Amino acid sequence: MKIAPLMEAFTASGQFESVLVHTGQHYDERMSELFFRQLGIPEPDINLEVGSGGHGAQTGEVMKRFEPVVEQRKPDWVIVVGDVNSTIACALVATKLGVRVAHVEAGLRSYDRTMPEEINRVLTDAISDLLLASEPGAVENLRREGIDGARVQFVGNVMIDTLLKHRARADQSRILEEIGVAPGRYVVVTLHRPSNVDRREALGELLAAFERIAAETHVVFPMHPRTRRNLEQFGFGPRVERLARLKITEPLGYLDYLKLMSASSAVLTDSGGVQEETTILGVPCLTLRPTTERPITITHGTNRLVPVGPGGFPSQEAVVGSLRTALTDRRGAGLHPPMWDGRAAERIAQCLLKA
Amino acid sequence: MSVEGVTTPIRLVTVVGARPQFVKAGAVSRAIAAHNAAPAPRSIIEKIVHTGQHYDANMSDVFFQELGLPAPAYHLGVGSGSHGAQTGAMLAGIERVLLDERPDWVLVYGDTNSTLAGALAASKLGIPVAHVEAGLRSFNRRMAEEINRVLTDRVSTRRYCPTRRAVANLAAEGMHDGVVQCGDVMYDSVLHHAARASAKSRVLERCGVAPREYVLATVHRAENTDDGERLGAIMAALAQADVPVILPLHPRTRARLGEGAASGGSLRLIDPVGYLDMLALERHARAIISDSGGVQKEAYFFRVPCVTTRPETEWVELVEAGWNRLVDADRLRVREGIAWALDFSPPTAGDGLYGDGRAAERIVADLAAA
Repeated sequence: MKIAPLMEAFTASGQFESVLVHTGQHYDERMSELFFRQLGIPEPDINLEVGSGGHGAQTGEVMKRFEPVVEQRKPDWVIVVGDVNSTIACALVATKLGVRVAHVEAGLRSYDRTMPEEINRVLTDAISDLLLASEPGAVENLRREGIDGARVQFVGNVMIDTLLKHRARADQSRILEEIGVAPGRYVVVTLHRPSNVDRREALGELLAAFERIAAETHVVFPMHPRTRRNLEQFGFGPRVERLARLKITEPLGYLDYLKLMSASSAVLTDSGGVQEETTILGVPCLTLRPTTERPITITHGTNRLVPVGPGGFPSQEAVVGSLRTALTDRRGAGLHPPMWDGRAAERIAQCLLKA
Repeated sequence: MSVEGVTTPIRLVTVVGARPQFVKAGAVSRAIAAHNAAPAPRSIIEKIVHTGQHYDANMSDVFFQELGLPAPAYHLGVGSGSHGAQTGAMLAGIERVLLDERPDWVLVYGDTNSTLAGALAASKLGIPVAHVEAGLRSFNRRMAEEINRVLTDRVSTRRYCPTRRAVANLAAEGMHDGVVQCGDVMYDSVLHHAARASAKSRVLERCGVAPREYVLATVHRAENTDDGERLGAIMAALAQADVPVILPLHPRTRARLGEGAASGGSLRLIDPVGYLDMLALERHARAIISDSGGVQKEAYFFRVPCVTTRPETEWVELVEAGWNRLVDADRLRVREGIAWALDFSPPTAGDGLYGDGRAAERIVADLAAA
């Protein structure tokens, strides 16, 4: 979702020769292929096929496999995106080989070091030559870390480029009919973070919240494989099956997902990207995490953090209460963060040409 | 943590892999032993992981023995390789160990790939990292070591700085928490071993040199050994010195030199030496020519002038105080540097730049209290 507009901007400028490397970190073939096809991203030139593993093992494997690619292709830049293990692994390899690194989505901070993503972000920024920030707060975070301002550029949000480009096409999606819900009459849930789905008490409490919500409205839950596995393992299968108004789906393609979110009355999520997308869609977003690294979605958008209890997850009362508030006050709808205008990738291409 | 008066020990995993790290870890291991021998609220159990980054088995074993370091509980046997491949293999290996051990802390030293791999693997598992020799900066991003330092400091919970400058460097990067100026563990180590080195070592006799009548040289950094022009300039300058130059040769440099690895002019190549022999050579040298960070400091500990064959140094206070001169790898400048060092008059300033020899003790006390 973040790469597509970049590849397009590089092609449009006619001044780049780009090689797309897929590390294979997201091993779910269905997810990857759907995304590539729907977004019109060219097939990756190189697939490293790293697969899943512990953080250390996976990061290590990406490093080992990416290094020969850089040595062979000798690029002027390696561009990394976001905050996954592949991001730091590829940035580190490139830096050690003396190849310049540009980090798209630089400077985001949750200030929660227990999140592996936070470590990836902090480290990638520390070694990148060009830091491309999606919101002003990110620029400030980097300044506080003593990173030379000359390396930092505020360019906007590439994921919003993708969203704006595909929004009209997403409207044609028949996903609401397929699932059997009506516009504005359901909420969407996405969950994948270990703090929410890997512990029985956390997942059980959130499920209790969804049960209460499902008593009043439909709940659509496109389910990450990890969440599905844990639901079964914790013995929550029967509880889920009893809920007539809870609709569990496979992970959806991008266009269906966009349509599903945009026609919903609210989204409950622990994903970073969804906080941004709902802000542009003007749909209330409840973030089931104690912190966000994207605070602009709160100050200039529809996002709100659901207060988290001592266990590190929100209580069902907190979830239900926050949803009620969000549905009535409609805070942030119609606001747009600066530079989230669909032209971030274009600006990034310009920065690279000037750097 | 107390159960009927029994307290849980603090479990520590130390990750080492390169020669200087054995020296530094040795100082801390001794301090841990002292801590455990004294009545302390919590004892410390240390397990050592040797990544195998310095692959010369002979070199590593000698070092462990001489330093009295506990034998490694784990040997990952990673060996040499490109940065990505080596760091990648270490990450996977260290992660396995940490998943088994589940320590309270991971302790890393200095700025090698082993340092970074240990810090990264631990931080991803949510295990707090303590970095000894935190805050050093050359501000040269082309050095792999600089990248390792910057990244390791970022993920560390406790950052043990040898100097005031190191503390200031961290502050400039927004790191204020967990920063402890404790002095330099290498100074601890030199104080501990210097007397023994002089008593035991026969290295001067073996080399056929007398105290104060030779120059000691080392070349090991990749930017010097992997660049034929730079290495050639350094070697040429050494061969033209007015006094004998003893050069223990790192395996990588010898490989690099190939046929050229022969003594000539004033230059005498010797095999790599153990830590005690090295201390003896440093202590009695008239001057030292080096690109090693550790050797620059050891020169100062023995009050021997040092000429550094790099454009910059992390140990800027040595240059500022007049104990060290940066000459890069330029033949003429190296020769001028040697002349300066042979005609050296010690500066009056610059005592105690690296603490009082009790850095390891402070580190252990801090870890025990953290």
